[in-house]
Amino acid sequence: MADQIDIRELKTDRRGLLQRFGAAAIGISVVGGLAGCGGKEESSSDAKIAPTGEESKLNFYNWDTYIGDTTLDDFKGASGVNVQMSFFANNDELFAKLRGGKSGYDVIVPSDDAISRLALAGLVQPLDKKLIPNFKNIAPEFQDVSFDPGRLYSMPYTWLVMGIGYRKSKVKPAPDSWKVLFDSDQYKGRIALVSEAGDLFRLYAKYMGKSVNDMTPELIKQIEPLLIKQKANIKAFHEDNGQDLLMSKEVDLVLEYNGDMAQAMAEDDDIGFVIPKEGSQLNADNLAIPKDAPHPKNAHAFINYLLDAEAGKKITETILYPTPNQAAKDLMPDEYKNNTVIFPPKEVMAKCEYAKFNEKLQPLYEEAFTRIRAA
Amino acid sequence: MARRAIAPLEYTRRLWMRLWVAAVLAFLYIPLIALIIFSFNDSKRNIEWKGFTLKYYEKAFENSSLMEALFNSLTIAFFATVLSVILGALTAILLWRFRFTGKAGLEGTMTMPIVVPEICMGVAMLIFFNGIGWPQNLPWPFSLSQIIIAHSTFCFPFVAMVVRARLASFNRQQEEAAKDLGATEIQAFRDVLLPHIKPGLIAGALLAFTLSLDDFVITFFTSGPETVTFPIKVYAMVRFSVTPEVNAVSTLLIILTIILTAIAMKLQNAAALGASPK
Amino acid sequence: MESWRLNKKLFASVAALPISWLLFFFIVPLGIVWLYSFGRNAGLTEVEFSGTFANYLRAVEPLYLEIFGKSVVVAALTTVLCLVIGFPVALAIVFAPEKWRPYLLLLVMLPFWTNLLIRTYALIAVLRTEGYANTVMSWGWAGASGLKTLVGLEPLPAWEPLELLYNNFAVVVGLVYVHLPFMVLPLYAALDKMDKSLIEASLDLGASHWRTINRVVVPLASAGIWSGIVITFIPALGAYLTPDLLGGTDSQMIANVIERQFKRANDWPFGAALSFILMYATFILVAIQSMRSKEGSAR
Repeated sequence: MADQIDIRELKTDRRGLLQRFGAAAIGISVVGGLAGCGGKEESSSDAKIAPTGEESKLNFYNWDTYIGDTTLDDFKGASGVNVQMSFFANNDELFAKLRGGKSGYDVIVPSDDAISRLALAGLVQPLDKKLIPNFKNIAPEFQDVSFDPGRLYSMPYTWLVMGIGYRKSKVKPAPDSWKVLFDSDQYKGRIALVSEAGDLFRLYAKYMGKSVNDMTPELIKQIEPLLIKQKANIKAFHEDNGQDLLMSKEVDLVLEYNGDMAQAMAEDDDIGFVIPKEGSQLNADNLAIPKDAPHPKNAHAFINYLLDAEAGKKITETILYPTPNQAAKDLMPDEYKNNTVIFPPKEVMAKCEYAKFNEKLQPLYEEAFTRIRAA
Repeated sequence: MARRAIAPLEYTRRLWMRLWVAAVLAFLYIPLIALIIFSFNDSKRNIEWKGFTLKYYEKAFENSSLMEALFNSLTIAFFATVLSVILGALTAILLWRFRFTGKAGLEGTMTMPIVVPEICMGVAMLIFFNGIGWPQNLPWPFSLSQIIIAHSTFCFPFVAMVVRARLASFNRQQEEAAKDLGATEIQAFRDVLLPHIKPGLIAGALLAFTLSLDDFVITFFTSGPETVTFPIKVYAMVRFSVTPEVNAVSTLLIILTIILTAIAMKLQNAAALGASPK
Repeated sequence: MESWRLNKKLFASVAALPISWLLFFFIVPLGIVWLYSFGRNAGLTEVEFSGTFANYLRAVEPLYLEIFGKSVVVAALTTVLCLVIGFPVALAIVFAPEKWRPYLLLLVMLPFWTNLLIRTYALIAVLRTEGYANTVMSWGWAGASGLKTLVGLEPLPAWEPLELLYNNFAVVVGLVYVHLPFMVLPLYAALDKMDKSLIEASLDLGASHWRTINRVVVPLASAGIWSGIVITFIPALGAYLTPDLLGGTDSQMIANVIERQFKRANDWPFGAALSFILMYATFILVAIQSMRSKEGSAR
């Protein structure tokens, strides 16, 4: 994910400094109310109307570096729509921001449980599948998923699975169970876990042989002292930068996503990744359209474009995460397709599952986690 | 107030003082120097030295969204600083000069923007601006107005605090004397009070600029689709990994700051920042 | 200090802008969140204003009070360290030759125009187990060990890198690193205008430098010291990023807990209650301080 996007059109075109100053200095004649205002500054250089019949703009709210190098340019070439991308860093931020209302974004990229939560809160709109014919490119197992039955609100973008990243020369034998992270002092002070409370509790349940969706308030109470006990052996709760801690040799074991670890392994031969035998939790990032999106038709066109085989290939080449896009995957080289970290074998995947969003449990996770950290 | 430099007072010439300042500067600068060195590192991560390269500078320059974010941040910081200095100075003078009912309350309220957790303030601003229907999609730079307002609100109490500390040492008789000599209230303010509080204003402006340039949380909640700022961009970038590109941009920012300040100082005859009023 | 009645026009022209700004862009927005603190979550995005005190009752449970207490201790420690480190620096700047002063001040400020997150990561690179600090110390250790063998002594045992990160020590170091200019600037602003002949007089009369600083400089700069303490302590109390990135498994501070309420837990009423407890406390402290100084000046 280290590669940077280069949105050249933005530099030479509508966001050019001169034009910005120009627009500010000349003053803007208001046509069509305030919503039209922003569109005026580029009217000299762009077609005002996209093929969809909307003004040729789109506001894309994405994770940083989470798109192909040229994807936004290519989409502009294909449709004439300018994509303005801005960034959020986690699903909770995204939710808090949308919750305030009138955010102005057209396409967002929430994860699986965040989709359920947004749908439940009525903050995303149902998709019009007729406008997204490229849905056929998606591998069947991602066409219908538990967190969004029938794919009413979301289209798949990438997916991930959590596992254990470890330094091969320090961790012997190679771990095969969550035990090394959750219930052992063998690697005291050499472990980093994620700081996402829900993930921790659910994976602990997995270690206990339960489903990630078997979680109850009682089970949270039961796991809490176990994690407090294990805390003595843990060096840090990381903010999803476990691969950095592992690569800088701060720790020898991390709880991380396969996509991040695949990148780390490409740079450091001494790093391994395993999905424990008890199974794990799947995550998926998805494309969705907020309820009050100003350009919903452009948004559908953009989502359809991202699901295209060639566009999907370019995105995957940049971000190197597992792709749910079968047509794009087919275009990728063998070393990607056959990488068992990115695409774990079927029998391993069979033991992994998505976590259902549960409104009641979320505050309980956080409170328990606060107690764990305070203990 | 003539300034006399007499040997016993030249603390800066004393060895222990020099060592102390050097140690503090080392503490402040070693991480930054390391950061600058690693911006030339030919590796995707900042962990091991793998060879010299300039490619991350090229990438940073080509990364127009990063440059745009930086430009937005500097613009916001500039306007927020100007507003904060005006608001802060007025508040300080108000609290210093007048006795009025509700003064203790005002003082308490004024410290609250400093105390309120950023996230709480951010959420408050988000609800507020959406609630009153603040226009969106305004042309630049008006599109930054929400962020500028929010930043001014949490910055100006800092300015007020610093200016007020400075006012404590003001000799009211000077002002009286000026007025006795026929100066109007405004003249007395401009010629007597303002020069006195100038170091406080500069220190306050520096604080406000720093706070505004660095703010992430409140900005996050007040920014729109077209107002990405530098901290927002950086937070999103480092979420995946701290790359030398981030270092390269920071290095550029440091150099830019040095150049801008050098120019400003030249313009003000090198006396602007530290000199006391004559 | 004069009564506002003596010069109403002047009072109005000074007061109008800051007070209306504070009202519109601070009290009104924050008032909404204040109302939230008496509400409860009704659904994912709805808050019902039920006038309940449940959030406050929950916020004063021992769990949260302990975290409050711990945050206060960490912030106070940070403030004291900043004062001890920053006071000589401010003094040095004030006593430096006039043409150096702006440059010294800049030198102190410059690091703070680098993004907080980037600075924190730079600090991590210095402090981590295989970071620069440990590397330099291991060289020193190897050098000392080499010297000992040279003079025929037993070499030192093998170097064990210090664990400088992911603990409370790292949090305090990080907070001092981040907050130092908040202390230096107000100290500088206050010390700069000090009447230096007083120091001279004290020295001439035979007082030591130490005594002079204690008895003359510090009292003269007390307003600046006080404002430095306030604007260092309060932001340090609200720090969330430093404990998150540098802290270990038990380094959470109150701002981290508040942040989680507004984000992951999606419990805005409780987050609001926690935030406002912080604010009530400060409001009362500042109001008491202000009333005391009023009494002081009336006497």
